[in-house]
Amino acid sequence: MANLLVVDDEANIRLLYAQELSDEGYHVVTAASALEAVEKLEAAPFDLVVLDIKLRNESGIELLQRIVKERHTLPVILCTAFSCYKDDFSAWLADGYVVKSSDMQELKEEIKRVLAKKQKAAGG
Amino acid sequence: MDWECCWIRDEITPEGCPYIGEGEEDLYTSHRRRIVEKCVECPRFKNDLARLKGAGNPLSDVLPYVLTEFQEQKAQMVSMLSFLNSKTREIKFLREVGIVLQTSMDLDEVLSVAMTAITAGKGFGMNRAFLLMTDKERRNIKGYLGVGPKDYEEAWRTWEDISKSNFTLKELAKNFQKTKLTSEKVKFHDILGQLTVPLSDQGHIFNRALRGKKPILVENALNYPDLDQGLARILGVDCFLVMPLVSSNRRIGVIIADNCITHKPITLQDMQSLETFAFPVAFALERASLYERLQEEVAKQKAANLKLREQQELIVKMEKMALVGKITSSIAHSIRNPLMVIGGFARTLLRGAPEDDEKRSYLESIVRETRQLEDVLSEVLDYSESLFPVIDFWDLNELIATALADLAGTLEQAGIICLQELSPELPMVHIDYKQITYCLKTLLSTAQSSMEGGGELRVESLLDGDGVLLRISDNGKSLTANAREALTAPFFQTQEMGAGVGLSLCKTILERQGNSLSIISRPGGGNTYSIRLLTRKENI
Repeated sequence: MANLLVVDDEANIRLLYAQELSDEGYHVVTAASALEAVEKLEAAPFDLVVLDIKLRNESGIELLQRIVKERHTLPVILCTAFSCYKDDFSAWLADGYVVKSSDMQELKEEIKRVLAKKQKAAGG
Repeated sequence: MDWECCWIRDEITPEGCPYIGEGEEDLYTSHRRRIVEKCVECPRFKNDLARLKGAGNPLSDVLPYVLTEFQEQKAQMVSMLSFLNSKTREIKFLREVGIVLQTSMDLDEVLSVAMTAITAGKGFGMNRAFLLMTDKERRNIKGYLGVGPKDYEEAWRTWEDISKSNFTLKELAKNFQKTKLTSEKVKFHDILGQLTVPLSDQGHIFNRALRGKKPILVENALNYPDLDQGLARILGVDCFLVMPLVSSNRRIGVIIADNCITHKPITLQDMQSLETFAFPVAFALERASLYERLQEEVAKQKAANLKLREQQELIVKMEKMALVGKITSSIAHSIRNPLMVIGGFARTLLRGAPEDDEKRSYLESIVRETRQLEDVLSEVLDYSESLFPVIDFWDLNELIATALADLAGTLEQAGIICLQELSPELPMVHIDYKQITYCLKTLLSTAQSSMEGGGELRVESLLDGDGVLLRISDNGKSLTANAREALTAPFFQTQEMGAGVGLSLCKTILERQGNSLSIISRPGGGNTYSIRLLTRKENI
């Protein structure tokens, strides 16, 4: 089963993600900051990162750039309250983009799509 | 001696002289005047002189000399009087024209007076005249106005009309300006169009006249030295006058005058009179042209000021809107995370709750209400985003097709048949693709909500002047004027339409980019939403 790292500074959101995505059968690890995320990425292998763009006093985009630079095969899905980031070219580095919603169906589908794409790329 | 003529008698009766006509009755009693005005030319008097000579009167040899000299002097006086009268008329005429020319700032009035003066019988009496003026760039001299009849028939009709009327020159000019100026411009369009000459063409007769500041009379055009034969062919005459219009050394233009109908020769006197007339005309034309240009500049300045004021108002409005956008965006962001948590956990709980659990309805309410709040939040965030559009050139038909494909399922479910009439040859529109897609979807959704139970929806794209029109027509319930107004007021809510942020946002988006939105409701049912989009960059 795929290992997901969820990075969000809101504890309740992390809890919600963990609950929903675990129900989908994923193994979910959460991080509250960019630093914690980097530590966890170094500690264990992950198949996908779900990343909030606005972290407390930190930029999710910077973390995204670092992940792309250091682990270019690890896909990242950006998750944010702002839809405007979709037009921000720095967000185009991400493999997926989802606007935060209580209905997590879109996120779940995006995770499936990105993982399938990754698998296909690895197989090909 | 018995004399035939009455010269010997102090007073006579009407039978005494058959040469005294009606209105000259005072000559019967005025002996001296009768001799000077009648007897000296009377055949009877000549007979009396012959008889004197026959009688050997010594005065009979002297008298014929005196008489011949007297007659010559008299003829000279009559000729001088006639010349004086004609000059007096000319001065009066020039004065009359001069007053109008000196006081008028209206180019059309100046043109009318000048051209009427040249062509009217009460003026210089030329058959036809063309005015050519130097263009604004001072590169070419161009045909501007022609006045006169085109053929004999028109000539007789016009001259008959004028002879019947008792108009002064000023009245004739006024009448001309009112009734004929525009038609005369059109009438000689073909000739005027061929009279363009570059000011740099030093050898051309127009430029020679302007340089010499003297009129040039062309007679026998076919053999006239250094004359562009094309000019005579265009005018269709072999005798014409080219009169330069120069004011303060500025070349204003040229007047060409001819007698194309009567073929009366143009005399030296005609030329001199017209030359006297040329200066006030040139001066008045220059002044009126400058005034007209000044008016244009004033109008431009006024328009620029108006635009500036509108821009200032827009900036203030934009600043206010940007502030509103910033605040709403900040609030919306703070609300979105908690909403997501509330709604998200409610969904989790709902999924785990047994089918017969009575708490399911509470959870369903939380999920539904949260979803609605999230939709409102999305609209509010879109509103603040609309303040920063990314504008480029896009294919409107492609945009429409994509948006309709996105909404196809929803429309089908609502029982709505969607007809597309997209014009195949439209220019690209200069828009923010995402925002116009949003506007189109909002309008389709608004139209859908007015068609409960389904209906027919028509989406059209068509060329509209220099823009492109996107029109959506439904056959649903007509919106009331209040509802239409409410729909486009920010954050307004009406009973019949629900939250109206959408259309308000559309209007803001469109107007900020120089586009427009109009909504027309037909009393019998149905609404038409029209978006007019720009096809080029606007300074907005």
